[in-house]
Amino acid sequence: MTTASLPAPAPRRAPGFFEALAPGGRRMLFLLAMVAVCLLFAFPVLWLGLTSLRPGYAVFYVHRGTDFTLENFHEVLGQPVVLKAMWNSFVISTLATILSLGVTVTSGYMLSRFRGPIPNTWFSLIYVFRCVPYVSWVLPLYFVTRALGIFDTYWGLLLPHVAVHVCFFSWIMKGFFDGIDPSMEYAAMIDGCSRWGAFWRVAMPAAIPGLTALAILCWLYTWNEFLFALILTAHETPILTVVMAQFVHELGMEWHLMSATAVLSLGPALLVTVFGQKYVIRGLKV
Amino acid sequence: MAEVVLEKLCKSYGSVAAVRDVDLRIADREFVVLVGPSGCGKSTTLRMIAGLEEITSGTISIGGRVVNDLPPKDRDIAMVFQNYALYQHMTVYDNLAFGLRNRRLPEAEIKDQIARAARILSIEPLLERRPRQLSGGQQQRVALGRCIVRNPSVFLFDEPLSNLDAQLRAQMRLEIKELRERVPTTAVFVTHDQVEAMTLGDRIVVMKDGYVQQVGTPLELYRRPVNRFVASFIGSPAMNFVEMRVEAAGDGFRLSGDGIGFDVPARAFPRLGPLAGRSAVLGIRPQHVRLGSPSAEGQAPIRGRLMVTEQLGDEQLLAIRIAGADFRIAGVDPELVFPAGAAIEAAVAHENMHFFDPEGGAALR
Repeated sequence: MTTASLPAPAPRRAPGFFEALAPGGRRMLFLLAMVAVCLLFAFPVLWLGLTSLRPGYAVFYVHRGTDFTLENFHEVLGQPVVLKAMWNSFVISTLATILSLGVTVTSGYMLSRFRGPIPNTWFSLIYVFRCVPYVSWVLPLYFVTRALGIFDTYWGLLLPHVAVHVCFFSWIMKGFFDGIDPSMEYAAMIDGCSRWGAFWRVAMPAAIPGLTALAILCWLYTWNEFLFALILTAHETPILTVVMAQFVHELGMEWHLMSATAVLSLGPALLVTVFGQKYVIRGLKV
Repeated sequence: MAEVVLEKLCKSYGSVAAVRDVDLRIADREFVVLVGPSGCGKSTTLRMIAGLEEITSGTISIGGRVVNDLPPKDRDIAMVFQNYALYQHMTVYDNLAFGLRNRRLPEAEIKDQIARAARILSIEPLLERRPRQLSGGQQQRVALGRCIVRNPSVFLFDEPLSNLDAQLRAQMRLEIKELRERVPTTAVFVTHDQVEAMTLGDRIVVMKDGYVQQVGTPLELYRRPVNRFVASFIGSPAMNFVEMRVEAAGDGFRLSGDGIGFDVPARAFPRLGPLAGRSAVLGIRPQHVRLGSPSAEGQAPIRGRLMVTEQLGDEQLLAIRIAGADFRIAGVDPELVFPAGAAIEAAVAHENMHFFDPEGGAALR
C-alpha cells in the first residue's frame, strides 16, 4: 500500500479567543454556566425544603441556627383541611387527566387525519380559545359555575380544567398522530378493521408514548394550578394550592407551615416527573 | 381469484379532477401495472380499488361484485404500501396474523398459513422480531407475507419498491415476479418506474393527468406507443424527438429539419399525407440508431455534432446535437473513442421511426 493517497494533514487552526485566554477555558465557562442555571432553578426548592424544616421562630434566619424539626409536617398533617385538600387535588387531577385525554386523543386524531368543515371549525375554535388570555376566563367561569349550581364542587373545577386541557393539548396530540404513518391504519382497514378499529388497535398503541407524556403534563398542570382553584372553589372543595396560600392570614404568615405543605405537594409531582421524565421530554419536543 | 373491472371511474377533489373516466378490465390472475409521473392519478385509482378513497363517479367491481360502497375489509383484497405500513408495536408473527385473527380463524390454521407464507418468502427466522429491527428489504418481504397469508382475490401494490436502494429494488422485483408464479393472483401494481412496469406487468396502463393514455403489453407499448407521452415515458434512455417539415416528393415524403433531411416512402407512412406542407415530430429510440452511413435501402442518415458521451461499461451512450436538441444514441461500442465535438453520422431504419402530431402528440401510423 502506498501512502500517496493519504490526505495531507489539516493545517492547524489558529486558537480561538477562549483557548488563547486559558486552555480548557471554553469547557470551564460552559460548566460554570450549567451550574449557574441549575442553581437558579434548584435554589428556591432547596430554600423551601430548608424552611419547612425550621421552627416557626427561625424561618427568617434560615441561613443561621441549627434548630431543625419535623414538627411543621406533623402540624400540617394534623389539619383535616390539608388532608382533604390533598385528596381533592389528587382526585381532580386524576379525573381531569382521564376525562381530558379521552377527548384530546380523539380530537388530536381528527385534526391530524381528517379534512373538512368539522375539523376546520374545531381547529379554529381551539385556536380562538388559545388566543384568549387564560386569566380572562376565570370570572365568566365563576358566574357560569354558580348559575349551573356546580360552584365549589368537583364538577365545577373539573370541567374548566378539561376544557383548558383539550384546547392546549389537542395540538400536541395532533403532532403525535402526524408522526405516525397513516398507511398503517389503511393496512389495518384492509386487514379487517373498521375505521374506528384501525384507530383503536393500530394508531392508539403507536401513540402510547405521546399519550403518556400528555397524561403526565395534564396531571401536573391540574395538580399545580392555582387560579381556577382559588376562584371556583370555597370551603366545600378545598384544593391544595389554595389551602397552601391560606397560611397567609390576618394574624400573620406561617411560612414554616406553608413550606411544609408545599414540600408535601411537591412529593407526588416529583414522583410523576421522575418516572415519566422520558415521556415528558418527548412530549415537549413535539 | 377475481376479475377487476373499472367503468367510467372518476375522482375529483373539489374542482380538481384526479382521475377521469378510467375504463379498465383486469382479467383473473392478470398482473397489471399502472404507471405514470407523479400526480397522474395512478395511486388514487389504486386507493379507490382498495376502498381507501371514495369514488366520485363510476363503478368498480371485483369478482363480478360491485364494491363501490363496500369498506376495504369487505373487498377481499390485500395491499402492500410504499413504506411497508407494518404494525410497529407487534412482532412479525402478529403482523402476519392480524388479518387472520380479525377473520376469527382458529389459531392452528393461522399458524399453518404463516408458516407457508414465511417459507415462501424466507422470513422464518424473523417471525419473533419487531418491524423496526428489520432492514428495508426484510420489512417489504413481511409486508408481502401479510398479503399472502390472507389469500385474497386481488393484490394491490402501491409503489412497494420505491423506498429500497437500486440493488435491493432489482432483487425484490425478481422476488415479486417469482411470487407471481407461486401464488397466481390478480394484481394491480402502481409505480412511476417504467423499468418496473415493463418487467413486471402482463399489461401496462400508462396514465397522465388523470387520463389513461394507453393500455397494452410491454412490447405493444414499446413498439406502438399511441402518443408522444407514452413514447417518451416507456423505454430507457427516452425516445428522441425531432420536429421536421413534411413535403410531398415523388412517391414519398421529403422530411427536413435543422441540419437533417431525408426521404421516406409513402407506403411506409400513409398517415403523413395530410401533414404535407406542415410539420411532424419524428421519434426514434436511442437503441434503434446505428453509427455509420446508411448501408441499405430503407435507412435514413442522421448527422450531428457530438456533445457528450456516457460510458456504461458494456456500451456507451452518445448525445449529439440535432436541430437544437440533444439526440441520444445507445449501444455504441464502449471501446470507441470520440474527439470532443466530432461530427457523427448514424443511420436509422424506416420501420423504427415513429411520427407524432406536433399539436396533440398522437401517433401517426
